Amino acid sequence: MKTAIFAVALAAAAPAVTHSDSILTICIYAFLMGALAVSFNFIFGLTGQLSLFHAAAFGLSAYVSVLLVTRLHWGFWISLILAVLAAVIVAAAVATLCFRFKLREFYFAIVTMALSEILRLWIQNWYELTNGTLGISFVQKPEIWTPYGYITVSSSTSWYFVSLTILVAVSALCWRLQQSWVGRAFSAIRLNEQLAETMGIDVFAYKFLNFVLGSALAGLVGVFYAFYTGFVEPDYLSVTQSLDIVAMVLLGGVNSVAGPILGAFILTALPHVIDMGAEVRVILYGVVLIVVILALPKGLRSLVGRERHAT
Amino acid sequence: MIQVVVTQMLNGAIVGALYGIVALGVTLTFCITGVVNFALGAFMVLGAYFTWWCHEVAGIPYIPSVFLAVLAVSVLGYLADAGLFRFTRNHLVNGLLVSIGLISIVEASVLLIWTATPKNLSYVLPGVIRVAGISVSQIKLVISAALVAVVAATYVGLTRTWFGRSAFAYAQNPEAAMLMGVNTARLETMVFVYSTSLAALGGGLYASLYSIEPSLGGFYILKGVEAAILAGVGEVLGSLAGGVILGISENVGSIYLPSALRDAYGLVFLILILLLKPAGLFGGKK
Amino acid sequence: MTFLKRTAFGILLAVAGVSGASAQAVVKIGQIEGLTGVNAYWGFMPSQGARMAVSEINDAGGFQVGGKTYKLELIQMDTRGEPREATVQFKKLLEDNVQFVFGPFLSNVFNAIEPIATQNSGKFLMLAGTTAAHARLAQPNSDFLIRTYNWDAGPGGFGTLMVKHLKALGAKKVAILYPNDALGKTILDLYGKLFKEQGIESVAETFEPGTKDFSAPLAKLASYKPDFLMPGYSDAVLYDIVRQATESGLATKLFIVRGSIGPALKNKDMIDDYIAYVPKYFEGAEKTDPAVKKFVEDYKRFYKTEFPYDQAPLCASSCYDHVYMLVQAMKTAGTVSDVAKIRAALVAQTYRGLWNYKFDDTGEAVFSFNIVHVKKGGDIALTTVDPTATTAK
Repeated sequence: MKTAIFAVALAAAAPAVTHSDSILTICIYAFLMGALAVSFNFIFGLTGQLSLFHAAAFGLSAYVSVLLVTRLHWGFWISLILAVLAAVIVAAAVATLCFRFKLREFYFAIVTMALSEILRLWIQNWYELTNGTLGISFVQKPEIWTPYGYITVSSSTSWYFVSLTILVAVSALCWRLQQSWVGRAFSAIRLNEQLAETMGIDVFAYKFLNFVLGSALAGLVGVFYAFYTGFVEPDYLSVTQSLDIVAMVLLGGVNSVAGPILGAFILTALPHVIDMGAEVRVILYGVVLIVVILALPKGLRSLVGRERHAT
Repeated sequence: MIQVVVTQMLNGAIVGALYGIVALGVTLTFCITGVVNFALGAFMVLGAYFTWWCHEVAGIPYIPSVFLAVLAVSVLGYLADAGLFRFTRNHLVNGLLVSIGLISIVEASVLLIWTATPKNLSYVLPGVIRVAGISVSQIKLVISAALVAVVAATYVGLTRTWFGRSAFAYAQNPEAAMLMGVNTARLETMVFVYSTSLAALGGGLYASLYSIEPSLGGFYILKGVEAAILAGVGEVLGSLAGGVILGISENVGSIYLPSALRDAYGLVFLILILLLKPAGLFGGKK
Repeated sequence: MTFLKRTAFGILLAVAGVSGASAQAVVKIGQIEGLTGVNAYWGFMPSQGARMAVSEINDAGGFQVGGKTYKLELIQMDTRGEPREATVQFKKLLEDNVQFVFGPFLSNVFNAIEPIATQNSGKFLMLAGTTAAHARLAQPNSDFLIRTYNWDAGPGGFGTLMVKHLKALGAKKVAILYPNDALGKTILDLYGKLFKEQGIESVAETFEPGTKDFSAPLAKLASYKPDFLMPGYSDAVLYDIVRQATESGLATKLFIVRGSIGPALKNKDMIDDYIAYVPKYFEGAEKTDPAVKKFVEDYKRFYKTEFPYDQAPLCASSCYDHVYMLVQAMKTAGTVSDVAKIRAALVAQTYRGLWNYKFDDTGEAVFSFNIVHVKKGGDIALTTVDPTATTAK
């Protein structure tokens, strides 16, 4: 806990030290990806369900919010709420479908992947609404109320703090839930689903809640991500995006909240740190991934400090 | 109109056979080593490119080229198993990530060596056969026959030879198999290498049909996994059938509905099967 | 501990970044193309050509502007075709005070960086070949942008001329088969209109990018009994479409506006007609144009590899010639940093290099091109069109 507060304080002070816009940009993307990874680990690490639908929730909310703001000219915050709501509704449908039919780990992954792909293809082909593969490029930015008046979040520094806040909020929420009795129910389901059932835990209800909440958080991050980039395209929902998130979580370690954040940071910053030919960079990325997975199966987080006991 | 449908079904079946060979590799690896080897797509790409190189650059005739490519990829498969996948047995998610890492490396290496320009094999057995207004290219028929033969041979190998039966036994009960004297480590490695050579064969045959580029692997492994699940993991003959069904459903769906959504039709079909019969179309008799 | 390490590392990076500005007489050119990934095809030739040109100029001692000698520094970024990646890279280039950006060719990358580019308009110049740039040039506040590729429609456009050529051959109905993505949709709309203007009927089918088996859409299109098939848009799909179309006899007359004649030559006994727009037919030009011959030889020597005839036509955009054009513009304008003057000089010049090059009033390229007509058996009839000779300025 102390480490976390210290880290946040340090991160908050960073913009005062560095003035490089591209470093701030990398940090902003790392924070947002970190939040996304944490929300994924809320599903995967706690209830053990490998959901490949995460990118779909991320992208769907991005599209909904962008469409509401650019086509209907609604405000950012109302669009954000509706976008997250959309993710909740779709995730609820997916969860009902999968969990009612009691899909096991691997098949659950495949079905979520298939549904994610179908959603992506649908968005990609609804050209009139979404502009297809061209994506939607826009200039609107969120506005935040402060005692000093409205601030438009457009500069790198303001986005830095907004994304850091989102990372902290999402992480804190997930951590808090993990510590509570809800979190213990999730863990019970992960460790032995049938036993949990006999102990009186409504497995369906908890898995449902877990999946919907995790996906809702993914949607939240998606909206901010889209508004930071100023661009949204069907690839936001791609399987590759989901797999990137899985890679981040596994790299960092599934047994903690900090693990996914660490993994997100490394995988986001890595392509920009290696300054060689394009193909060589990709090769290095693959090598790093393999080495870490094989040498550190519990993720990088296990290198640092003690693990929390398996809740 | 009926001609269009029949042609589409035939084409779908042929493409489906390619899905099927990859599906067979997926299903064998999953049953014996407990991981879904997504890197089979990368081995398929290597098989395609090695075949192309042997045929176009080294001037070796087509069939020996395919043979050499399969051999070379099998060696690489063995190295991958010994160095990487040996450590991920039965650990689905780790195996998944190692596969992804391997795919990145292979694709980028191929890109580095041969660039993004698609490569084309000089045509092997050009020409079509026309029956009742339906035309199918000769090479496609030959390739389908070859693929069916390989799958059939695999099935026979698994059910009739001692090695094959020990593989079956191992898949059902690893401890019992070990007690019976099966060298499990060697078994796992051999199955892994065999599935990479299946993928390489698929790649080599693919090269005679279409232009090849580094990204073809990603597409085919996804289809292979879909087909394997559709059929039911562990079904050898079923994986070929699953691939064919997937191919046909995609092509026939494209006739009546927009072609742009072709991939979606296969996916919807897959989801329905998984929800209604999770063991797959042919599975469930364990 | 990791967090501390991470921040320390970040600080290191920051310091390294800040000290990047060099005090030598160097003009930086940034290039943002996709060099890896599924669309690597489009970034390859511009990247190769630009690198060669920069090396040639530097080896000759640089160039002189206002009595001072400058060298060029080429910073090549690989966007991997990803808009997100491109955003970070583009911002980095602007931060490094790069004033001349070559690329992008990909529409989705362009769309992603366009807002940042507009925000920084006046500080740099972007020479992009992407189709999306055409629409952007028509909008206000586009002084940062120059499009380095021919537009299909318009007075210097090759599309109108190609369609007329087709009409003269007696075509009444054309079937269009294009991928269901950004460029595909643009081309479909564009040519649907051009065909209509010439009184040619057109039908269209789209396919999912990544398709290799075209039997379904080809069969659908064949049922309309068209005179010509217009498939697109890159060689990656053309080889397969042409092979499958001609093999099954579904279409043997082809009309190409994006792609090379490679597929025609490979299937030369199966096609009836193959009419293609090629920015330059290098195999032919090599024999007649000394500048092209020299380029091919220099390329082979520089890269120690075969000359990529199939891809060379893409050097019409943000490539070899353009480095020289930029240098020439700087000399004419007498400055290496006043982008407004340089743009004016660039757009006003007539350049004769590998291509005969000009720009129209909006800042869009107009250059000489070839219409290549491959007949059954492989005979090639070449027509050269030079709109720079006829376009009034």
